Amino acid sequence: MCNGLAVNWRAFFYVYKTRIQKTLAYRFDVYGNIIWQCIVMFATAYFWKALYTGYDTVKGVQVEDMMTYTIVSSMMSLFFITFVEQRVIQSVEKGTVATDMLKPIPLFGIYFFEDLGYTTSLIVQNVIPIFIIGSIFIGVPVPHSTFMLLLFIPSVIMAYMINWLFAACFSTWAFTAINMNPMVQVKKHLIRLLSGCIIPMWFFPEWLSDILNVLPFVYIYQLPLDIYIGKYEMGILLQKMGIQALWLLVLWCLFVYLQKRVTKHVLVQGG
Amino acid sequence: MLWEKYKSTMKITVNEKCSSAYRKSDHMIQVKNLKKNYVIAKKEKGLGGAIKSLVKSEKQTIEAVKDISFQIAKGEIVAFLGPNGAGKSTTVKMMSGILTPTSGKIFINGKEPYQNRKEVVKDLGVVFGQRTQLNWDLRLGESFELLRHVYQIDKETYEQNLQVMDNILGISEIIDIPVRQLSLGQRMRGDLVAAMLHSPSVLFLDEPTIGLDVDGKYAIRKFIKEINRVKGTTVILTTHDLGDVQELCKRLIIINHGTIIEDGPLEELVERIAPYKDLVVEFYDEEAVEHPKAQLHKQKGNVAKYRFQKADITAAQLIQEISEKKSIKDVAIEEVTIDDIIRIAYHRE
Ligand SMILES: Nc1ncnc2c1ncn2[C@@H]1O[C@H](COP(=O)(O)OP(=O)(O)OP(=O)(O)O)[C@@H](O)[C@H]1O
Ligand SMILES: [Mg+2]
Repeated sequence: MCNGLAVNWRAFFYVYKTRIQKTLAYRFDVYGNIIWQCIVMFATAYFWKALYTGYDTVKGVQVEDMMTYTIVSSMMSLFFITFVEQRVIQSVEKGTVATDMLKPIPLFGIYFFEDLGYTTSLIVQNVIPIFIIGSIFIGVPVPHSTFMLLLFIPSVIMAYMINWLFAACFSTWAFTAINMNPMVQVKKHLIRLLSGCIIPMWFFPEWLSDILNVLPFVYIYQLPLDIYIGKYEMGILLQKMGIQALWLLVLWCLFVYLQKRVTKHVLVQGG
Repeated sequence: MLWEKYKSTMKITVNEKCSSAYRKSDHMIQVKNLKKNYVIAKKEKGLGGAIKSLVKSEKQTIEAVKDISFQIAKGEIVAFLGPNGAGKSTTVKMMSGILTPTSGKIFINGKEPYQNRKEVVKDLGVVFGQRTQLNWDLRLGESFELLRHVYQIDKETYEQNLQVMDNILGISEIIDIPVRQLSLGQRMRGDLVAAMLHSPSVLFLDEPTIGLDVDGKYAIRKFIKEINRVKGTTVILTTHDLGDVQELCKRLIIINHGTIIEDGPLEELVERIAPYKDLVVEFYDEEAVEHPKAQLHKQKGNVAKYRFQKADITAAQLIQEISEKKSIKDVAIEEVTIDDIIRIAYHRE
């Protein structure tokens, strides 16, 4: 990145654009995604409703906020999909890293813009449908206030980046360990569990949520969701966003380091 | 900030040093004492071995490239030959900045590929016959378009380059086919175009004619010749098809077990390994004549085979002298084939 070459945005934009076109053209896994996420969303919503019978608020959160939490978190899970691990695993297994490295642009730059293109098409194909379905059958997920909505957007963008960088760092493992497909699955579900995607932090025992608060995962789902439903005061939320930005920086540095190291020790399978 | 500045000035001085060294020698490609070891985990057999390797895996080192040095001038076409597993592809991968050498140095146009990968590959075209650099998900044309953006080629130059290459390789008829549906030969043509779109001054071809039919090979050889003639592109080509070598390369480098065993013009190698020719003569009866400068190598019925050193006598002279002694029905001259020569070269230690 700091080698005197200007970042080639036009190439990245082209990667981004073609990825969107391709995804919109072949609408293969679109319905599967929506159906699966709908099941998860409804199950979670009914679980919370059952839990709330006889109570107005639990841990200072009303049942309506809990419903909003569920819908928005479902939307986010559809949006935070990364393919970088698959991409790296495949190019290492098949030895196509070789041809990826022949291009005069950063290796992971292509992977990132492919993912971003995919995400963008997912907004149209998955996120909006799930929003509509959730709004009709569960209730419109109204943000706490317009200001919170404005705060939610940068926080979600940072969350996206944290999620992606984490995946990218994780994927560099594929350069040394050969079969890491199972680990990718474990990682994916662990993140969902530990990030407040399914169960919010405030339902965890205090010692556990204290630990989780030091880790980067809560800044992927929990924080943007806290902002959306206005769980905390402004001051606390801003402070947390500061920590989120800090994590972003840390992961970025880690990513740059790992990427450098890994491209020096690339192994190419096959002649 | 200061550190960044410092680093960048450092880089410039280093680069200048390299490029001035390069200018002095005027070689497009310089390889010095290049070495590459692959370290692989040694797998033991059975369950016990699998458990043992979890705790502590034994490492095994494969010396793929041992100590290679050569220089290639601008505009040369050089064949890189050697038996399977000799280390050709490994060398090409190091020269294209994909693998980092264990030791030794490579300069392409004065720059070291494993240190400035992105800089070097900008002026480099590479084709690995075994795999494609085209994007599987895209149509061939879209794949080119992506490369146009990656290499920042302006539209006009791009169209022009494409036009020129289309004339030789007939790309326009397959440009709208998705890459995954291309046949091997079509894909290879696409890959060649992809490697040359940005008009690099150096082209590495690792088995570019593998699995192609006669027409495919012909087109690709013609293409290589043409870009070398018109653009002065320096080409290194690894192949097992010696027709490629005869057609294209003045110079060949033979490598075996990771070391160079031959480096020079093809004719010189032929001269050295096979300084002789065979003359097959058919007489009217079974009695062959003797000649002081030719050895009667084989005889069967009316047909005799003489082996003579090219330095001693010409074929015409020999035919004339023999026919003066005895009347000849038919003659044929047999030269050692290039396949034989290369095979002899491979097996000589
Ligand atoms: N990724 C790898 N890991 C371990 N060893 C490797 C790897 N790639 C190549 N080798 C070994 O390095 C040596 C040289 O391989 P290389 O691919 O350079 O040969 P080559 O000359 O291109 O052969 P061919 O003509 O068959 O393509 C071989 O012994 C091979 O087994
Ligand atoms: Mg090879």
